[in-house]
Parts: sequence; structure tokens; C-alpha cells
Amino acid sequence: MAAIFESVFAFLFKYRPLVFERGDLAFATPWPTWVLLLGIAIAVGLTFVTYTRAAIRGRRDAVILATLRVLALGLLLFSLTRPSLLIPTVVPQRNFLGILIDDSRSMQIADRDEVPRDRFVAEAFGAPDSTLRAALAERFLLRFFRFSGAAERIDDLSQLSAAGGRTDLGQALDLARRELAAVPLAGLVLVTDGADNSESSLTEALLSLEANSVPVYTVGLGQERFARDIQVSRVEAPRRVLLGSTLVVDVVLEQVGFGRQTVEVQVEDDGRIVASEEVRFAADGESATVRVQFTAAESGVRRFRFRVPAQAGEQVERNNEQEALIVVEDARERILYFEGEPRFEVKFLRRAVSDDENVQVVTLLRTAENKFLRLDVESAEELAAGFPRTREELFAYRGLILGSVEASFFTHDQLRMIEEFVGQRGGGLLVLGSRHSFGRGGYSGTPLADVLPVVLPAAGGPSTESFYVELQVEPTRFGLTHPATRIADSAEESAERWRGMPPVSAVNPIFEVKPGASTLLTGNAAGIEDPAVVLAYQRYGRGKALALPVQDSWMWQMHADVPLDDMTHEVFWRQMLRWLVSYVPDPVSVTTARDRVGPGEPVTLTAEVEDQTYLSVNNAEVVARVTAPSGALSEIPMEWAVDADGEYSASFVPEERGTHKINVVALEDGEFLGEHTTYVSAEELPTEYFDAEMRAPTLQRIADETGGRFYTPANVATLPEDVSFTESGTTVIEERELWDMPVIFLLLLAFVGSEWAYRKYRGLV
Amino acid sequence: MSGRVAWALLLGLLTILPAEPLAAQSRRMREGARGAQGIDFDELNIPYNGRFTFVRLRFDPLPEYGGRGWGGRDLKWDHDYPRAERHFTKILDEITSLGPNFDGSVILSVDDPELFKYPVAYMSEPGFWTLTVEEAASLRDYLLKGGFMIFDDFASRHWFNFEDRMLEVLPEARIVELDASHPIFHSFFEINSLDHTHPYYGLRSVFYGIFEGNDPEKRLMVIANYNNDIGESWEWSDAGYIPIELSNEAYKLGVNYIVYAMTH
Repeated sequence: MAAIFESVFAFLFKYRPLVFERGDLAFATPWPTWVLLLGIAIAVGLTFVTYTRAAIRGRRDAVILATLRVLALGLLLFSLTRPSLLIPTVVPQRNFLGILIDDSRSMQIADRDEVPRDRFVAEAFGAPDSTLRAALAERFLLRFFRFSGAAERIDDLSQLSAAGGRTDLGQALDLARRELAAVPLAGLVLVTDGADNSESSLTEALLSLEANSVPVYTVGLGQERFARDIQVSRVEAPRRVLLGSTLVVDVVLEQVGFGRQTVEVQVEDDGRIVASEEVRFAADGESATVRVQFTAAESGVRRFRFRVPAQAGEQVERNNEQEALIVVEDARERILYFEGEPRFEVKFLRRAVSDDENVQVVTLLRTAENKFLRLDVESAEELAAGFPRTREELFAYRGLILGSVEASFFTHDQLRMIEEFVGQRGGGLLVLGSRHSFGRGGYSGTPLADVLPVVLPAAGGPSTESFYVELQVEPTRFGLTHPATRIADSAEESAERWRGMPPVSAVNPIFEVKPGASTLLTGNAAGIEDPAVVLAYQRYGRGKALALPVQDSWMWQMHADVPLDDMTHEVFWRQMLRWLVSYVPDPVSVTTARDRVGPGEPVTLTAEVEDQTYLSVNNAEVVARVTAPSGALSEIPMEWAVDADGEYSASFVPEERGTHKINVVALEDGEFLGEHTTYVSAEELPTEYFDAEMRAPTLQRIADETGGRFYTPANVATLPEDVSFTESGTTVIEERELWDMPVIFLLLLAFVGSEWAYRKYRGLV
Repeated sequence: MSGRVAWALLLGLLTILPAEPLAAQSRRMREGARGAQGIDFDELNIPYNGRFTFVRLRFDPLPEYGGRGWGGRDLKWDHDYPRAERHFTKILDEITSLGPNFDGSVILSVDDPELFKYPVAYMSEPGFWTLTVEEAASLRDYLLKGGFMIFDDFASRHWFNFEDRMLEVLPEARIVELDASHPIFHSFFEINSLDHTHPYYGLRSVFYGIFEGNDPEKRLMVIANYNNDIGESWEWSDAGYIPIELSNEAYKLGVNYIVYAMTH
């Protein structure tokens, strides 16, 4: 449409709109202005006198005919003034033009008539006599640059390979501007799909270009919207899990052209399919989130691939998969279970996880007042004095389960310590229902009440002591897919199984969760109006707190209706305890911003260093030991980031391809504080195939902000001329005559013709 | 031939003992009038409420031994009911923190689905225990799912019936003698000696057990107080019929059994 408008405009007005935009109107007449004005006045006066005196019947006819004649005369006089456009134009061969060509992999995408994007580059610029290049070379001295993740000047376009793993427009524009700063620069031509996937800021580069008056002419390659494509946009997977844990990973799919169709998402662990899940897309163009569940069955650094098999007619197949590096730890996480009275929950909870080599429940059971039974302790000293009284002792555990123990058992310091166990240490807390828990245990108003995800009824309320219900458990929508409560392969099976489980009883009236808390299981019973909370959790500080206000989850194992070989109880507890201690930080931890980087890209390390009581340490000696795939070891000292307590950072560029092991060790005054290991892989990334449609808005913005224009291959032919009309570089003012514009002739013809037609119509001829 | 079997045979040959202790007979004579034949035991039972409740298993006794008791018959399984459980739960509450039900106890048949709500069950006089196929299957499920059983009040030749029935429930089971080092004897009280004797017959008590998977490292599913009658000691602990030391030991064993069953 714009092209048609431009052609019609150029036909009528002799020049394209751009010439009028850039030029200034001037009159080249040799006559003085007063002569012109006098001439106009005389012409108008004479016309009116002549027409009113002549034998014209009506006054109306006289006015219309006089007006038409005046307009025709006016047009003639306008032409006699020799109107023209003064437009700055570059002096041929005196100015430089930088041509920046995208050399990233996305240029290989054949999304327009099966033709790769870089074919345009070859055709337009490939040889010195290529149309566009020749037209530009007539006027400018051309300088070529190629860019992807980095940019460089090139002399020969055969150096282009379309193999760059990343696109950084800002850096490329900056480099070209700097390199051509010393020469008269008419502008920059940016030939790209605009799919910038760098982390640098484009705005800064544009501001510099604007300040230096360098217009950027952008040429967008590729389609703005693919016809048919599926993209695995995002995978939300944990970076670290315990061996044998169930991972529930959200995979976000985007699609065009696959509305109402069903595809399969597959999960591969080092090439072996470990899970698959079908998803049916909603309307065309709508994204979908698929929750896949699988078990981390082997320890070590695992490379999980989440893929949708290539579908017929897809334009880009390489964006159908994403990978994630997940560290599967074969550790034994210790959880302290403090139970205030002998009850069957102890037995069945212990039994459920007794075969789990990665979770160890250390039980401290108050069998009588001041009498404790310790089970599965590691040493004779462990918990010898009962419930921990120091942070070191309590914070050594990663999870804490509180059973039927009343608030008054604890000192205020101990309650505060439990609160800090969750909030500061980042541990997982689980509180079980019983006659001494929650409101019945007097926890309202204590620090523990703040941590809990549920709202406690006031202690000693009228219904509290006698409350007893048998709850039929129902998972919430969230609970169906949550790693703790999804007890079957699919959400539907999981819901079915939950509904088939026998009821459990509760003596704690808990019906409300706090804002921000999530409910995973609810329970219905005769005699209660609202469903009771059966399992809820919330994040609290660095950790999480769970409430399971039922007193006999062991019914799911023992009840007569549960078959002997049913493993639901075991699965539930194992999953829940693993989830309870997942993401629990160590005193020293290290993270990388990304788990995979492209070759030559830096890896940024951030370590958090705390002591055994989980207080930040700012004066530690922190060293990252990086082991390359070849075994080469390098040590990188990490510096304290002054603005954050206990945070240390460093970065390095992997020299080899493959998985690098990063072991961070922290010492304070020579004393070992802790260590932590993470992994990062340096490899060719398929980043370029993601979000690879042509970004017209970005390219339009670059052009608009710098005073350039945005083109596509369809209208790029006018580029050489357009670039000529610039104030940048060495220019001259060119005068373009306007008196002979076809529109003037046509208007003249129209005015005179209308007069004649009117006379004919009114019988005045 | 295990020492246990030899010991049982020897006892069986030697002993011509009264089948019932006199005091117990008199108790049942007194309390026999309480019930009538066809009594609805469920009416005696308290409903489940999540707290520890003493469960006594009932069965049809071997016909040749039936006689007195409820409805004029000696039901065997009811020996020491209800005073034994009343006294024992009171002691449990006094000594431990477990907060049992005081309002009553529960009597269930072996294959009653309600039994699965109570993971500890007590059986008296297994020397007279009879089982149907369905009962055996149900009890097997109960034990393997996590249930724990205490057999009490049997001696001498009663062993043979107990062993036969137990092997009907768990055909693969090995019934092994326990020594004082087992955790069940240390779960609450430190019981370092198992040098007990039967309160009436003077026989040396032996504690037998059945382990999950016949693995002594695993959970104990069954404990049998052979040549012992701790229920009797519980029942008469307030009347002076039983030496106080004996009652003490019986309570210690009972408390330890319950605490063990709740934790293992």
C-alpha cells in the first residue's frame, strides 16, 4: 500500500515523498515580490470585473466562473515564480557509507519462498556489479562490516558465513560508528533480521548515533511472522535436584499455524526418552505451558533435552528443543523430625522413607516429659540434650518436621530459631496436625505463626478442643501437578488416585491460608461447610514452610481399603520430603547466570558465603577452581561485591568447549567455611533459531531514532537515492524544479476544463 | 530342632498344669453375668478418634476348651478384659506423653476392616486361637502393611496352636527368640534382663518375635510373650494378687511394646 502511494505521489509530484521531507521549498523567480503581488492583484481584479460586467445571468454563475479562472491564473503565476526544492545531497564519491551485514545463523533461515535470508545479501551486495551495491558505489565509498555476537570490518563479502551464534545490533552499530568516525559518513546501512538476542543495550548505541547525526538505514530480512512454527521458548527446570527425585518441569511452547493441534513434548536424558506429555494448542498463535514429570534416576551433571518432534511444514526446526543442565546429587539430606508424643505417624513416616538413600529422617521423640527417644542419629552426641538449642545444631539439618509438640515446650529463643531456620537458613519446615499443633498447641502469636502458610484460629476457641473431622482429600489444580502431591504419571491419574484414598482425620480446624500461600490438598467432610486445608505451603524468607494439618496420614498406608502393594503413602512422603529439602542453600553456594554459554562468551559467577550459623561473611577468601573438560585447572579469585553482604563475584571465559566444573571454596581466617560445585557448558548454542522472525518494530525504531529509513527487500531499490539526501557527510545543496510537476498541469487542465463544462451546462457559451 | 521346640516339648510332657488360674476363673465367674450370647461387641467399642486405643482381638476358641465367660462360655480371648486395658492405658498416660483414649477400648475380630485403623493389637490366649482362611489373609495384610501384634497369656503346649495359626497367617515366617538387646526392650524403659517367669506356673518366660522379611535388622511385626501373662499382671496390679515387681515388669514390657510399635 505504501509502495503504491509512493509511486502515485512520485508520478504527480515528480519526486518521492522523501525528497519533499528532506528539502526546503524556495522560489527562484528573478522578479521582486511586490511585482508578483501586484500582478496577482491585477489579475484577480481584472477577472472579477470582466466576469461581473459580462452578460452572465446570475451572480452565482459569475462567482463560480471567476473563481475557477482565478485558480487557473494563480496556478500559472505560481509556476512562473519557479518553485523548487533545495535539498542537501551528498557529493558523489566523497562520502563513506557503512554497510553492516548480519552474519548470524538466523540468516540461514529460509522463511521467504524457501530462500535463505542471506541470499538477499549475496544478490544485493555479493559482487561489485550487484544492483544495489553498484548503485550505492556510484555515490559512496562503501565500507562493509559483518556482525553477529561480535562485529568486524570485512573487505570481501565472501568472508560471510552466517555462522554466528548470537546477534548484537548495539555493539555492531557502535563499532561501525567508531571506525568511521574520522571520515565523512553519510550513514549506515544495517542488513539484518533484527533478532537481537544479546544482553547489551541498543538504546545507548542509538543515542550515540543520534548525537553524531549518523542515520541508519535498516534493511529487514525474513518474515515478520512465520506461517507454521513451533518453538520451545522456555524451560523452567531446577538447576540441582536430589537423586531419585521427581522433577516437574514447565515447558513453554509457542506456535503459529498449529492451532487446535496436538503435539508431544519429549524429555530426553542423554539421548534416552524419560518422559513425554501431549499438549493440545488452543487457538492459532497462542502459547501453551506443558508440565512434564520425570525422575532424576542417575547422578552427576545430566543434560536434559525438552523437545517437540519436528512437525510437517515447520519453518524452523532447530527451535523445537531446549536443553538444561541439571546437577543430580547423590547426597543424603538430613531432616529432623521432632515429635512430641509416641504416635503412629512416626512409625509410618519413618517406614515410608527408610529405603530412600537420599533422605534421612532423624527422629527425636519425646516419649515422656524430659525423656527423649532418638532414632537414626549419627553420633551419641547428636540431639543428646533434646531439641537443638543453638543455631549451629539446628541449622545442620536441611528440613524440620514438627509433630505433636506444644508451643510452650520451646523457649522463645527456640521458636525464634525455628523462624530463622526457615527465613535465614533457607530450610524447609513441615508442621503436622495433632492435638498439640497449630492453634491447639498455642502457636498463635508466636514467631512460628508468622512462618506457617495457614491462618491459625485463636487459641482455646470454643470449637478448637472438640474439633474432629474425617477428611476426604482432594488435590487442588495446583496440587495435581506439584512435585510433592502428584502421585501418578499424569495429572488425571493423580486426581483419580487421590480421590480413591481413604479419609484422614484432623483435629486442627484450619480452613484458611495466608495471602501468597498455595494450597495443594484440601479435604471435605460432613459437617464442615468449607474445605479444610490438608496441605499448604508458602515461601518464607529464603526457605519454605508447609502445613499438613491432619493427624493420621498413615491411613493412606494402613487403611483396609488400601491394597497391600499400594505405594501411594510411600510416594507421597518421599516426594514431599525431597521437595521439602529442595533448593535449601548450603553455607557456601555458587551460581552462574546461565548454565550454557556460547564459545568466547564470559561466564559470570556469583557466590554467597555464610558461616555455619548462616550469617553473611564479607572478609572470606573465596576461590573458584575451574576444571576444563581436558582436566586443565585454573583458579579464579572471587571478589566481594561491596553492595551485597556475603556476595562474591568473578567471571571467566571458557577456553575449551564442553562442560566445566566450577568448585568454589571459601575460607575465613584460614578456616574452612564451605565449598560448592556447579557446572557450566561452553558450546555452540542454538540461540539464533529462537524468536528468529524479522523484527520490524526494532528496525523501524533504529531508523526513526537516527533519521534513517526502514526497508524490506521489496522497496530497497530506492535506498541509494534516499541515502543521497542527507545532511551527514560532505553535501551540496541541490535545487529541484517543481514548476513542471505533472500535478500543476493536471490541476490547470481541471480548472480550465471545469469552467468550460460549467458554461456548457448553464448555456453560457 | 531348635531349643525353643525342645523346650516346648519338654514342658508339654512334664506339665499337668491347671488350664486356668483360679483367680482368673473367679473373675470370669463374677463377670460372666454381664453379657449374653450374641452380644454386639461394637457397642462396647469406642469410635476411632486418632488417639491410641487398646485393641483386643477376638476369635472363636477351640471348641473343646470353650465353656464359661460371656454367655456362659469361656471365650479365652477376653481374659483380663476390661481391667487389664483400663489399667494399662492409665499407666501409659501417666508415664508417657502419648495421651491414649481412656473412655474405653476396642474389641475386634481378626478380619474386621476396622482393625486397620489401629496398628497395634493384643491377643490373649492364642493357645485357643482359631482362624478362617479369610481371617488369616486379612491378618497377613495387617501385619505386612505395618500392623504390630502382641500375643500374651499362653504357655506350655499352647505353643503348638499359636505356631500353627501364625504360620497360617505368615507361612514364610520364622518365629525367633528375642534377647534383651533388641530395641523393643529399650524403646522407653531400659529392660536389660528377660529373666521373667510365668506369674502362676513358674515357667521361664520366652519372648518370641517375627521380623519383616525374617530380617532381624528390620521391623518386628509380632511379639509373643510365651510362658507369660502380662495382661494378668496388668489386671490385678491394683488388687495385690500379683507381686508388685511382676506388675512393674509387665507394665514396662507393655509400654515398651507400644512405644516401639509407634516408632518402628
